[in-house]
Formats: sequence, C-alpha cells, structure tokens
Amino acid sequence: MTTLSSSVKPKATPSLRKRLRLDALGNWIFLLPGLFFFFGYMVYPILRVLWMSFTDYRYLSREPAQWVGLQNYVNAFADPLVYDGLSRAAQFTLMFLPGTIILPLLLAVLVDRVEHRTIATIYRVILLIPAVIPGPMVFVLWKWLYNFQIGPINYILVEVLHIFTPQTAPQWLGGTSLTLPAVAIFEVWWGLGYHTMFFLAGLAAIPKELYEAARIDGANEWKLLWHVTIPRLRPILAVLVVLRFGSAMAVIDEYLIFGGFNRASPTYTWTVYMYDLAFKIGDWLQGYAAAIGWIGAFSMMFVVAGLLYIFRPQDG
Amino acid sequence: MARKDEEYLIQKDLYARLQRGQIDRRQFLTRMMGVGLGIAGVSTALAGCAAPTAPSAAPAASSGDAAPAAADAVAERPLTPTFYQWIEDLHPSIPAVNANFPGLNYQIAPVEGFGIERFVAEAKNSESTWDVYVGMTPFVEMTALIEAGVIEPWDDYIPQDVLDDLIPSIREECTVDGKLYSWPFLLDVVGMGWNAEMTEQAGIATIPSTWTEYLEAAKLIQSSGAALYGCTFDSHGWRSLVPYTHSMSPDVYTPEGLFDFTSEPAIAGLKLMKEMMALSHPDILLEGATDGGVNGTPDEVAFAARKVAYYTKYFNAPLRMAANWPDPSKLMMGGLPKFENGAGSTVFWTTGSCLFKHGKNKEKAAEYIKSLTYDMQIWQDSIAGTAVAHPGQLPPYQSIYDGWAASRPDWLPDFVGLITGQLPKARAITNHAFGLTQFQIAKPEWEKYLNGSEPDPMIAMQGAWDAVQAEIAKTKA
Repeated sequence: MTTLSSSVKPKATPSLRKRLRLDALGNWIFLLPGLFFFFGYMVYPILRVLWMSFTDYRYLSREPAQWVGLQNYVNAFADPLVYDGLSRAAQFTLMFLPGTIILPLLLAVLVDRVEHRTIATIYRVILLIPAVIPGPMVFVLWKWLYNFQIGPINYILVEVLHIFTPQTAPQWLGGTSLTLPAVAIFEVWWGLGYHTMFFLAGLAAIPKELYEAARIDGANEWKLLWHVTIPRLRPILAVLVVLRFGSAMAVIDEYLIFGGFNRASPTYTWTVYMYDLAFKIGDWLQGYAAAIGWIGAFSMMFVVAGLLYIFRPQDG
Repeated sequence: MARKDEEYLIQKDLYARLQRGQIDRRQFLTRMMGVGLGIAGVSTALAGCAAPTAPSAAPAASSGDAAPAAADAVAERPLTPTFYQWIEDLHPSIPAVNANFPGLNYQIAPVEGFGIERFVAEAKNSESTWDVYVGMTPFVEMTALIEAGVIEPWDDYIPQDVLDDLIPSIREECTVDGKLYSWPFLLDVVGMGWNAEMTEQAGIATIPSTWTEYLEAAKLIQSSGAALYGCTFDSHGWRSLVPYTHSMSPDVYTPEGLFDFTSEPAIAGLKLMKEMMALSHPDILLEGATDGGVNGTPDEVAFAARKVAYYTKYFNAPLRMAANWPDPSKLMMGGLPKFENGAGSTVFWTTGSCLFKHGKNKEKAAEYIKSLTYDMQIWQDSIAGTAVAHPGQLPPYQSIYDGWAASRPDWLPDFVGLITGQLPKARAITNHAFGLTQFQIAKPEWEKYLNGSEPDPMIAMQGAWDAVQAEIAKTKA
C-alpha cells in the first residue's frame, strides 16, 4: 500500500500543480487585454499628466521639458482665473445637482405608482426620449430654444406674454449671468429620463410590504417617502450624486458650445481655462494646464470623499 | 496606399541602393525576400544585371543622378494636400482642379477650430502624413507652426512670377523674416454690407463713406421703422475693433507685433463700437453658437433675420446671411467707412497653404497650389456664388484684378472694385504667437467700456493691454 500510494502521489501532485499553474496562467492571459487597456489608457495617461504638471512642458516648443518641481502649482494657486474657474464650476454644480436628483426621484415615485402596465410603459418611453436623442441634435435644439432673437422662449416672453420688450428680453446664452442656469436646465432635461430609470430600478427593489406595514402604522405619503423610500434608495442616491457631481464639476463641451472662450463668461470654468492654456494660448503651456487639472481633480476628490461619507450605508 | 504601390516603392529603393553599391546583391535579395518580394527581386536584379553598363559609363554623373532617383523613389507617395473642411464646402470647383493632377491624394485636415496639434505631433517625430495644408490663416496659427518647426518657407518652390504677382500687403502678411511661409489663397476683407430693401424704405439713397454718415443712416433706419435695428457688428476683436481701428490708422502694432489697445486709433475704434451698440440688438456682445463661440454670432442671426440694415464684417458673412432672405439680391456691399480724419484702411486676412517641413513632393505641391490659386472658375464661383455656397472670398493676385479691369466679366459685382480700391491701404493683423488670442484674452476688458461697467475707454483698454501682457508673462515664465 505504501509503495502503491507513494507511486500514485508523485504522479497526481505534479499534474494538479501543473493544471493549477496552467489555470492561473490562463486567468492572466484572459486578464491581459483588460490590463493592457487599463495601464495604456488609464494609468499611463494619469502618470504622464502628473509628470507634466511638474515640468514646463510646452507643446509648441522644440525645447525638451524641464523639471520645475512645484512651480506650476505655486503659480496656479496665485492665479485668480483658477479660483474663478473652480468657483464657477461649483456654482453650476449647485444649480445642476439638485435638479438632477430631486426631480427624477419625484418623477420615479409618481411613475412607480402607475398600475396600468401600458400607461406605465408609455411614461417610461416618453421620459427616455431626451436620453436617446444624439448630442448634437440636443445642442442645436436648445440653442434655438434659447436664441435671443429668434428663439421660441423669448418669442413667447416678448410677443405673446409681453413680459419683456425686444430690448429687455433675457439673454440666455453666450456668457451672461443666465447662461449657467440655462445650461443647468438643459442638462437636467437631457438626463431626466435616464436618472428616473435609476430610481425606478431602485424602487422596484423595495418590498411593497414595507409600505403596507408603514401605512398600517399610520404613516402618510410624506412619511413613506422620507422614512421608507429615500433610505432604501440611498445606494442609488450615492452613486448618482457622486457621478453627477464629478461630471458637473468637469463639464467642458457645454461651456464651449454655449459660452465660448470669453474669460468674463460664467462658463469660463477651470476646465475651459485648462483647455485654453493647453491648446490655444501662446506656446500651449501644457505643464501648467496639467497642474490646474490636478488641483481641480483633487478638489473634486475631496468633495467626493465627503459625499461618500454622507451617503455611507447605515443599515446594521 | 495600396500594398502594390508599397512593394513597388521598396523595390525601387532597394534597387537604387544596389546600383549605388550601398548593398550587395545578396543583401538586396535577402531584403526583397524579407518584404515578400523574392521573385520580383530576382527579376529586378536580373534586369539590372542585363543592363549595368549605362550608369557605369559615366560614374560621376550616375552617382549624382542616382541619389535624387533614390530620394524620388522614397518620396514617391502621391502629392498629399490636406484642406480645412470649410474650404471644400465653400469652393465646389476644387475637385475640378484636382482632376488635373492624376493620383493626387486629396484629404480633409484633421483640424477643428484651427487645431494644429496633429501637425505638431508629427513634426516632433520628423514626419508628416501630408505635404501641404490648405487652411492656414497667418495671424491665427502661422507663428505657432513656424516656432514648432512644422512648416518651411515656400521661397525655394514658388515661381518668381507668382511671388511678384502677390498684392504687396498680402505678401507682407504671409512673410516672416523675409521668407514666405503662407502661399495665400482666399482673401477675406472686412467691409460693409446693407439691406437695400430697408435703406430704400428709409429713403437712404447714398452709401455711407464715413462713420458719421454710417451712424446717421443707421439711426434713420430705426426712426423710419424700416428695421428694428440700425447696424450691427461681430464683437470678436479681429472682426470689429481691429477694422474700425484700422479705418482710423493701421499703424497700431507694437514693434514685437502686438495690437496696441491703448493707442488713439484703438480708443476711437472702441468708442465707435459703443455708438453702434446704441443702434443695435442687445445681445451684440454675446458669444456665437458654434466653433467655441467664434461663429454663429448674434450679428449673423440679426442680419439673416432681416432685423438690422447695416453690417460690417468680412464679406462672406453678409453673403451667407442674405442667402436666407426672400430676395438675396437686396444685399449691397461696399468698402468699410472711415473716420473723417482717418486713413480709410480696413483689415484683411488670407487663408493660404503652408508647406510641411517633413512632407514630400514640394515641387509638385507648388505646382498644384499655383494651379489652384489661379483657377478662374474658383474665383467666379467664390465671387458670383454657386448653388451651394457664396463665400465672397477674393484672389490674392494683382494680375487677376488687372485682367478683370481690362475686360470685365459680366458676373463680376461692383463691390469687388470697391474692395480692391481699399486693399492697398488695408493691413493684416501682425503675425505673433498671440495674434488671435490677444483679442480673446482682452475682450472682457474692453467690453467693460461697452457694457457700461467702466466709463473711461482708456482705462478699459489699459486693462485689455495688461491682460494680454499678464498672459505673455506666463509664457515667458
């Protein structure tokens, strides 16, 4: 038996090890494409921009970049446009974020209560229409709606309601104080259906018995929303708030399209300034622009950490 | 490029090296086999063996000829020009010119909003996908392209007769340190356009030649009810502040090439803008709807919607906007008005071609650009308009205007004569790394005077100057 068992063991062990090694190798092979893209498209660019932020890298210069240490950061902290830019982005976020969370939440609660399946589906489809319109069409549509001279909004305000005259009509876009609220309204509209779907998915996961039990205990609709629905939707709220906060602070295309490069415009935020420095002005100071980018990114990460703390799981 | 073309080029190059003695027959065959041309290599080598005497009969000459031949072989990709998209959109006759250059690899540039990053990136690797770029505006990006080592001068390739034919002010615009970096193509001049339907309704029979007359006519338009607004302009500095300043005096550039915002003519230009604003639509200072706010501007909307009578901008703008009118023939155009004591100048810029330093086919590129820029159908289409576009851009060559003066084509509108009359006095914005961006940086500052937050134009313009200097200091730092 001893002989037999000893003769079997050496045969079985290498084959198992070999198989395990092969399995592990196979796993790594399957991981390789993902790792390649992760390091090539995420890690390397981040490290490259980090390195650039410590140099005087100028894209149009033929001289090699020189290491300048923290100089770009020192300059950026003394640059009023950086503060103005971050402040303007924060203002937009404050206008955009409540609308993009509260409105879809309320809509989701209402749509969730529709019991007729066909009507509920119709509501969902209507809500999703803006989300499936291609971006350029959405921009063209809202530019036309907001147009000072020929837009329907001003037409109604001036010609139909006579609230304004052609001289006093609101100037929605192009860098006025109304531009940020106007962009926020457009963004909330665009994402309304998409965000509502998030909440509808969350609402579907809440057991109906909870509502029935609460009602038996005498809870009214407001209490149901506040004490049952919202606590149960916390994970979805956390995801949406964090994602939308990040995207709102880092908006650039809407600002370029609706506000241009006028530095006095409220849409000239830190992202536009960074782009302006990196691709338009002088020798294209990409080292300095990278430092501004990191300052913006760290500011956002700081707030995101706070948001994650606020929305941390509290059950148990 | 097709695989067969590549094989042919490699084959020619290796054969040229074999002939020059840079590689032996063994290396030649090995390399040919390495690129999958084994059989072709054998046949080429055999063909070379069959007639080796001709080159060796005159070794000095042959070695001299072989080098260009090899270079030609390497350079033998087809001529590859790349155009800015709008040029093709506005000038539908370009394909007809291309048809005269068989094998031309015509492309649309990967640029948006004057983006040149791809060109610079390639130059850093000492290479260029393209040979020539048609779409460069000197004051916008020429300095950057020179400083980044992307382009080289045309001087070694442009024929002398073409050089001599360029209108002197245009030649000056395209020249840096005595070298011609831009071969000008499309000339844009800032002038005046107006809606004749409105001026007739207001009883205006004369064309304003001074700014005083212009403002009076604009007031009359409003008071007569012929239009909601009298006049308009594009608030971007190079389209309003600069031409108005030039109409007083074009000598407003510092020795280093920056626009002197604090100069007297610039202050006069700013004051004129404020006077015009009183007769214009309230959104006149807002940014445009496209291209980062640069295009689709409120003035264009107002002129297209027939809300305003008088308009000053490069001629392409009123022509494009008037195409939306029920009767586009009501559009009239003329030279820019002037101050009573002013020089009567305006601003112009050309969109031209630049030669990539690391491109190829440079002689062919010159041949092609000459053919393109002298094509009379392009000019007729540009000035008289076609079913698809009416850019109103003019040629940069004196001989073309002389030809039209000697024998006027029936399609030539009057405004061309008015413009060319003003052209000798006109001036381009001086080339500088901040040529365009100085106006974007300074705009919020001078607009403080226009929107009333700063009553003193001099203080506003000093702010504009300081803002530009602060930005330049960042670059120098």
